[in-house]
Amino acid sequence: MRGSLLLIVLFVLAAPLARGDPLQHEFLLLPSADVVGTFDRRAPVTQVNDAVLKADLILSLQKGPFKLFGEYLVSNHEADLERFQLGWQMSDDTVIWVGRYHQPTSVWNHDHHHGQYLQTSITRPAIDEWEDLRGVLPQHFTGILIESSKQVFGTWRLRTAAAGGIAPQLTSVGLEPFDLVHPDGNRHQMGYQARASLHPGDFSETGVGVLVANDELTSVGTLPPRAFRNFDHVDLRLFALFGTYAATDWKVLSAVYYADARLNYTTAVARDSFIVGYVQFQRRLVFDFTGFARWEDSSRAADSAYLQGFEQFARSRYVAGLRWDFQQRQALTVQLSNSHTLDGRFSDVRLQWSAALF
Amino acid sequence: MERSSVLTMRRAILFLLLLGIAAHGRASPDTVVLVVPADSKVIDLDSITVRKLFLGLPVLINGSPLHPLRNRSDARFDSIFLQQIVAMSQSAYDRQMLIGVNRQRSMRPVEITTSARVLDELYSDPNAVTFMWLRDVEHNPKMRVIRILWSD
Repeated sequence: MRGSLLLIVLFVLAAPLARGDPLQHEFLLLPSADVVGTFDRRAPVTQVNDAVLKADLILSLQKGPFKLFGEYLVSNHEADLERFQLGWQMSDDTVIWVGRYHQPTSVWNHDHHHGQYLQTSITRPAIDEWEDLRGVLPQHFTGILIESSKQVFGTWRLRTAAAGGIAPQLTSVGLEPFDLVHPDGNRHQMGYQARASLHPGDFSETGVGVLVANDELTSVGTLPPRAFRNFDHVDLRLFALFGTYAATDWKVLSAVYYADARLNYTTAVARDSFIVGYVQFQRRLVFDFTGFARWEDSSRAADSAYLQGFEQFARSRYVAGLRWDFQQRQALTVQLSNSHTLDGRFSDVRLQWSAALF
Repeated sequence: MERSSVLTMRRAILFLLLLGIAAHGRASPDTVVLVVPADSKVIDLDSITVRKLFLGLPVLINGSPLHPLRNRSDARFDSIFLQQIVAMSQSAYDRQMLIGVNRQRSMRPVEITTSARVLDELYSDPNAVTFMWLRDVEHNPKMRVIRILWSD
């Protein structure tokens, strides 16, 4: 019975493939190189990497309503399959993905992913940092992602995303997502996320939205004893509001996250919560220059037991910089930051070249 | 019932427009039309759907996505494409394409630089949609005009 059902499902899925739709492909290369220097150091560790050369490779294949999408990031520090998804375009408005995806409840990462050229600032907000750069929220999951966009209130669009998948683990070096290429045999738990945002048009960046997530993160190995002695897992619930207003020459974007962490020890349960937010303003200037500034701040971050596992987390940060789009799809950016981490503070200056090559 | 009447009406209007343009000797060479293969399931595409299609968003007909072909066989097509179809500057269009590939995992329209290849693609793919000069398609039974995009 199960075999027959599988055959029927395969037949239904394979029917569109046999219709003779051409195989389409898309390749995008997003290279970047950046260097950073720190000064006024009052923190034991200030950077994960001082110089990074990287190439983000994106490949899409499509045949009829079926899609295969892959993103591979190669740098002088890592090589990782970041996204790998098989998709079915159910209708004009809805697509279902299976595989490794970026969870939709990171405001910044949902918009920029790993594309360095596509973000104006060199760094992303600390709350949206990737796991391997000591980010505090899980970003890569393996499971199902459903994305949709519906017309509402006349010409407005309601964009939604819902996802559920294998969550990253808490290890001695931070969060580690499930690796599709080298899967481990560890105990993994699940995470679920949902996102909804309202926009005045199909292609408008302007919009407001809400996020909610419930992620269970298992601990693996020996964690830093200060926060995680006799620790088993954490239930991390996340709520957020975000908004963007994009005019012709300027843009402002903001997000506020409320995180509720329930830390499950072998003998007890501890709860804590913290709030993190940021606002970024950017304006196009003459000669293809763009100026930008971002303020990141938090509340109760220093008291959070969960965040004690991430001592480099910037509980507040001031960022300012200038980007110059000197060639088609190539930019140079200089950025100054002042960060207050959980165990100190420091300032840094960065220089970056980034590009997008089809 | 209403929908079929509307479609018949639209076809009649399109036919009259094409007839008028053809009768007007000077206008015909400078008219750009949206075309599909004669066996395409596409009946009508409004300007918003055409814009979505050429900006890489999915447009499905009977469960199959349409394949936009950006015709660049004539230098004048570029400005007509940017002004009349996607209504964006070149830099904004570039950025929209990058965002689409990275964020929505969408496909850019295939760009074709010779008329012969445009015709080859149209003949071989019933889901293809492109734009051409009216004078190049009006007597071709293998193609169907969907709408007028621009006329001088």
